This record gives sequence, C-alpha cells and structure tokens, in this order.
Amino acid sequence: MVFSSLTFLFFYLPVTLLVYFLAPLKWRNLVLLLVSLFFYGWGEPVYIAIMVLSILIDYTHGLLVEKYRANDRLARWFVGESVAFNLLLLGFFKYWDFFAVNLSRIPGLDIPVLGLPLPIGISFFTFQTMSYTIDVYRKDAPAQRNMVTFGAFVTMFPQLIAGPIVKYKTVAAALDHRVNTWEDFALGARRFCVGLAKKVLLANAIGALWDASLAAQGTGDLTVLGGWLGLVAYSFQIYFDFSGYSDMAIGMGRMLGFRFDENFLYPYLADSVTDFWRRWHVSLTSWFREYLYIPLGGNRGGTVKTVRNILIVWLCTGFWHGASWNFLLWGLYFAAWLLLEKYVLKEVLGRTPGWGKHLYTLLVAAVGWGIFAIDDLGRCGAYLRICFGGGAVWSGLDLFHLRSYAVTLAVLAVASTTLGRDLWRRLPERAEKVLTPVLMLMSLLLCTAYLVDGSYNPFLYFRF
Amino acid sequence: MTKAYSRLVAAVFCLFLGGMLVWSLLLPDRDRSEAENRTLAQWPAFSWASLRDGSYTEAVEEYFSDQFPLRDQWTGLKARAEQIIGKREFHGVYLCDDPLFNSGTLISRVDTPDAALVEKNLGYVTALTDKTDVPVYLGLIPSAAEIWQDRLPVGAESWDQAAFLKRAAETGVPVVDFRSILSAHADEYIFYRTDHHWTSRGAYYGYAAVMEALGRGAETLPITHFAPELVSGDFNGTLYSQSGVHWLEPDYMLFWATENGLTVTSWRSGAPETAALYDRTYLDQKDKYSAFLGGNQPLCVIRNEALPDGGKLLLVRDSYSDSLAPFLSQSFSEVHLLDLRYYRASAAQYAAENDIDAILVLYSVPNFVTDRNLAFLGQ
Repeated sequence: MVFSSLTFLFFYLPVTLLVYFLAPLKWRNLVLLLVSLFFYGWGEPVYIAIMVLSILIDYTHGLLVEKYRANDRLARWFVGESVAFNLLLLGFFKYWDFFAVNLSRIPGLDIPVLGLPLPIGISFFTFQTMSYTIDVYRKDAPAQRNMVTFGAFVTMFPQLIAGPIVKYKTVAAALDHRVNTWEDFALGARRFCVGLAKKVLLANAIGALWDASLAAQGTGDLTVLGGWLGLVAYSFQIYFDFSGYSDMAIGMGRMLGFRFDENFLYPYLADSVTDFWRRWHVSLTSWFREYLYIPLGGNRGGTVKTVRNILIVWLCTGFWHGASWNFLLWGLYFAAWLLLEKYVLKEVLGRTPGWGKHLYTLLVAAVGWGIFAIDDLGRCGAYLRICFGGGAVWSGLDLFHLRSYAVTLAVLAVASTTLGRDLWRRLPERAEKVLTPVLMLMSLLLCTAYLVDGSYNPFLYFRF
Repeated sequence: MTKAYSRLVAAVFCLFLGGMLVWSLLLPDRDRSEAENRTLAQWPAFSWASLRDGSYTEAVEEYFSDQFPLRDQWTGLKARAEQIIGKREFHGVYLCDDPLFNSGTLISRVDTPDAALVEKNLGYVTALTDKTDVPVYLGLIPSAAEIWQDRLPVGAESWDQAAFLKRAAETGVPVVDFRSILSAHADEYIFYRTDHHWTSRGAYYGYAAVMEALGRGAETLPITHFAPELVSGDFNGTLYSQSGVHWLEPDYMLFWATENGLTVTSWRSGAPETAALYDRTYLDQKDKYSAFLGGNQPLCVIRNEALPDGGKLLLVRDSYSDSLAPFLSQSFSEVHLLDLRYYRASAAQYAAENDIDAILVLYSVPNFVTDRNLAFLGQ
C-alpha cells in the first residue's frame, strides 16, 4: 500500500489516525506498532516474520551493548553481531541473485538464482536498526527497554517503506514521551498535502515523458532533443516522487508527534556536485557519512586514504540503490565527480560564474539519472550517445511533447526552487490563513481525481 | 498557528479523508460501470492462501478503487485539469478542434501495429480468394485519425494508414476505396466525435464506395432518397469513456434507411431468431451504437423481399458494418454479416452453401491490423 493510493488515503490513514488519537497517550506506541505491522503485512503478509525477527534481534542487541558497556570488546562484538545480522538480511534478500548470476559466470561455479521478492523497505529498516545499536554504543542514545516502543520505532509506517532513514537518536526522546498538539497535526497535514501533490500531480505527470523517450529509443526514433527531454523529465520525476514521499512521511510523522529531519534541501539549486549531495536524500548520505565514511577515517588519513574512503562510500551508496551494475557505475560516476571537484576543479569552479556552476551541476546530475534509470548498460550507453549528438537533432514528435509538457515543465522548474516558499513567507498572515486550507483541499481533490483516473480502466469490448 | 486555527486546518484534512471513507462505506456497491462499460470489482472472498500470496489485499485495493464514490466525476475532473495545462492526449485519445462543433472532437490514436500480423492478415484475405470462386473484395475503412488528420494536434503521433491502404491494394485483391470518398466529404459529420465509429452519414458514403467497387455505382441510391430520423441527441461513445473528456457536446445519432420490406434474422445463440434493423432499446443505454442491428452477433442476414434480383452479399466484418448494413440492404436482396470473432468456421464454405454472389471483407483499418481471428478467412 503506497501513500498515494486510494486505499491508503481513504481507508488506512483516517482509521489509523482515529484509533491513534482515541487511544490514551501511554498506549499510542502500541497502537503505532500494531497499525504499522498491519501496514507492512498488507503488502508483505509473509515477510512480516522478518520484521518481527529484526525487531527482536536488534532490541536484544541494544540491551546487550548497554549491559556490557564496561567491557568494550564485548560491547563492540554485540554491535558487530547486530550490524552483521542486518547486512546479512539485506544481502540475502537484495543481493543474492546479483551475486549468483555474476559469480556463476566463473567456470565451474553454479550458484542457484532464488528469485525471491524483495521485502518492501528492507533497505531502509535495516539501516535504521543498525543506527540504533551503533547509537547506543556511542552513547548517543540510551538503549530502549520497552520492546513495544522499540518495535514502534522500527516499523513506524510513515518512513517504513521509503524513508527518510530516521536515526534512532533523532526520535529517541519523542518515542518515550511525546506531546501531541493541534499545531503539529495541522502543520503535518499541510506538509502531507504538499508531498501528495508533488508525488501525484507533478512526478506522475512528467513520468510519461520519460517513458516516451525510452519508447522512442526502442523504435529507433530518439533524437538529441528527445533524449535530453527524457533526462530532464526523469530528473524531475525522481525528485518530485522521492521528495514528495519524504514530505508525506515527515508530515505524517509530525501529525503523530515525531520530528524527522529534512531529506531534501532543494537539490537542483546546488552549485556543485558536492553541494548536490549535501541536498539530495540527506538522510542516506548523512547515514553513510556518520556510520561508514567517518569510521573509515574520513579525510583525516591523507589523500590516498581519503580517495579510498570516498570510493568505498560511493560504491556502497550506488549498490544500496539496487543490485545491478548500473547502480555501481552510478556510484562510481559520482565518486569520480566528487574527487574531481575536491582535487582538480576546485579552482576552475571558483572562477566560474554562478549560472555556469548551476548548469554544470544539473548536467552532471541529469546524466547521472540516465545511468541510474536504465539498468541495461548497453541501452544506457546507447541512450547517452544519442543525447551527445549520436542521432537526429529533433523531430515533430519532440515538438508535440514540448507543447504538451510545457506548462508541466515550467511548473516543475519553479517548484524545484525556493521561489514558492519565499513568496509564501511574504504573504500577509491573513492571506496565508485563508489559502492554507483552500490549497490543501485543492491538493486533495486533484490528487483524488488523478488517483481515481489511474484506476479508470474502460473496457471497450465493442472496440473489437 | 493558534490552537483554534490549527483545529480548523486539521478538521479540513480529516473531514475530507474521513468523509470519503464514510461515503464509500455507505454507498451501495455497484455491479458495473456504464461509463467504463465493464463489471466492477466486488469484495473478495477471504482465504489464507490468497492472503499469503498477496492477491487478497490486492483485490481489496481493487474493490476500494472500483467502488470509490463519484468515479466518473473524478475522471472528468482530471481530464479537465489536464486540458487546462495544455494536454491534448487523454489515454490514447486526442482532443481536437472541430469546424462544426465548438466543443471539439475526439480522435483515437492508432498505434503502430505488429508488422508480421499485418502481413499475415493480408495473406488470409489472399488465401480466401484461392478458396472460393465467388469474387472477393477487400474494404478497409480508414479511421478518423486518417481522414481528419488535419484536425490532430500539431505533431500528434498516429500510424500512417494511407501507406497501409496502398500496401493492401498491392495484394491484387480488388479493394473498396473508402479513403477518397470519406476525404472528399471530410468537412461533414462523418465520424462520431465521442465514438470511434462512423456516423450514418459516413456509412452512407461507405455504401456508395462499396457499390462503386462492385461495379454497381449507377445503382447507388442518391442521398435524397433517405429521410434521416434523429433518434438520439445524447450519444456519448467509446472515446468519451476512454478519454475521460466528458465536456463535449454529445453526438447525434440518426437512422437513415427504413425497415420497410426487410426481414432480419440473427443467430445470437446458434438458432435463427427474428431481429430488427434497429434495436431501439439500446437508445436508452450508454452503448447506443449497438442499436444498429442490436450489436455484436456471430451471424445476421437481412433480406429485402422487394429486390429479388439484387444479388447476395456476404460481409466478413467488424462493428463498422452494423451501421452500413441498413444502406446495403436497400440495394441487395440479401446481406449476410459474418463476425469471425464469434462465427468460427470457413467463410468460403458459408458462401458456397448460401449461394453468395460477392464476398466483402470489411474492416476498419485499426481493427484489421490488430485482429487475431482472420485465420478463418483462409479455411
């Protein structure tokens, strides 16, 4: 059940909110755990067992780490055990088939491909629970003694299946004693409506343009203009899809009384690739920085070690996004740009005017999304070759697409900047007060219309 | 935010979500949707097996969206929103300007078909000519996307039907030239604006083209012979449903030819039953086009007692012929309509058994290039 579905919006969410707020405060973690397990079980009735197992193991390990804190070797051992468990879980379900297929190419080796479906959200919840034991070990947060409360943290439905990756320490206090206010609920609801509109109205609307470019490549009709239109479309699609989802998660968290960290900080306003990655999927990059890059020594071990660490972190980042070669390549691609910026381009960029830096960053990001989106490396290479001049420049179809998507593209471009936010802040208070519920209602109405339309499926049997 | 104002905002949010939930719970479940022309999902039966493999929750989600209140209105709202931001394509249907109607016209996009299937289908028609001594004609009706291509939005894609018609003529089977006559009358109301079929006026020109191809052009009844009867002013057809564009003026439906002196026999369930040229009960339903001959059926025979020497014509056909048959019945003593989707036997044998004078394989281009039942032609 995704947030942008009729079942979630008009069944799961209202019922959940009703039960949650009818329950007395001390029961709310239990309610949250139960509704979240229901949410998970809805899509993964069998894998709910993995979820429960994961809660039990990490809960126990948190307590063990705290109990044996005096004995650092033992405490480290338990941290390691918990990390190993989570990585094995992730590795088995997400990466087994990838390694099986690729290692089986070695003569004499034949590893069976299992074809297991990936448990929803496994990449997110394993990372969250790893952060828990590490935070406890580092004394960033006390161990959670109440298993229900810990379960509520792991399964919390707003961020369960697509993040943001909430570190235990950011919500530790709210888990134990949180305050629910009307203001938090209202702000959370507003944020949810913004996210829903980003996902349903903006991301879905532009997705078709990317599909059209892929289809044109399939029939050999892709042009340079069509290729770039596709990359621009996909750049917008993935940003509004993912950040819209994060907005919905942050909004629902707030409604329930939690504050999650921001996950996207206007990434397409970045003026360098380094800056881009400070703004894109912040909860993931900060996770890798905090729990991998810095433990590896960060940039304090000299140039060679820094380069090594950056390469390791970005290979992992790429691989985290999916078990195929293009994601590894995508990670390396960004590692290369980050290293270039760090050691070579620093001065050049310093002398480049602002618009040049923005354009450069957007280009690097857009090509990156090309690698990200097309998992067949051959096709991906062919697509990018056309973008860089390996085809006709434009076609009539491109113009039809430009006309059809002109308004959408303009809206997306503006929505990627802080312009809307700044204008909103300059509104007189009264206007803001009137507009907030009106715009929320409009978002809900339009999103409902688009979602119903998505399921609209005329059967034209007499079409013959 | 003050507490009172926060409560207001929260209330707007909760009332909308909760209100729709309550509404959909109270709303009685519908069996089928007229606009979508299909049965709607019902609450699924529970079983542990279906829960385990995920099909149960999937079915519940389907039930929930199928039974959602105001489905058609939501779809219309979406199409409107799309139009406002400049979209001209709605689920494979283009919204185009129309010189006759201000609200515009809908034209279905024709996708590039499977080239192998196209060749195969043409091959079946050639095979039929070898199977029978009765003269065989091939009639391929170009759709509105071809005849009205100047109305399509700039750059809008649609497969090149003219090139295909040229290819069809190369098979050597004599063809009916619908394209020329329809193009010559392109500024008239020859295709419905909300449906993919031709109107009675379009079908009349189709009739003239058929007569011409059969060498009987001189006998074509003039347009003044007919006294069109307006039978419906609110026909919303297949394109209305497919696109979600619900704001166009509905189509008009007219019956041109009269039933006087005709006997119609339908084989709907294997046995002959008396039927009618027009089944007016459909005029009160969504699917008004089925009023012509009463819609899909394996076999239908129209006899004109007044024309004992008019000749016997066999149409191997799709639904475009439903509105064409009334005209043909005015010039032939017998018109046999055979639908290969339901009549799964040899067309050549049928022609021999029924003393047929001419066989016309008559399809709209989009149907001909995607149909997978034509193999029976060659048997």
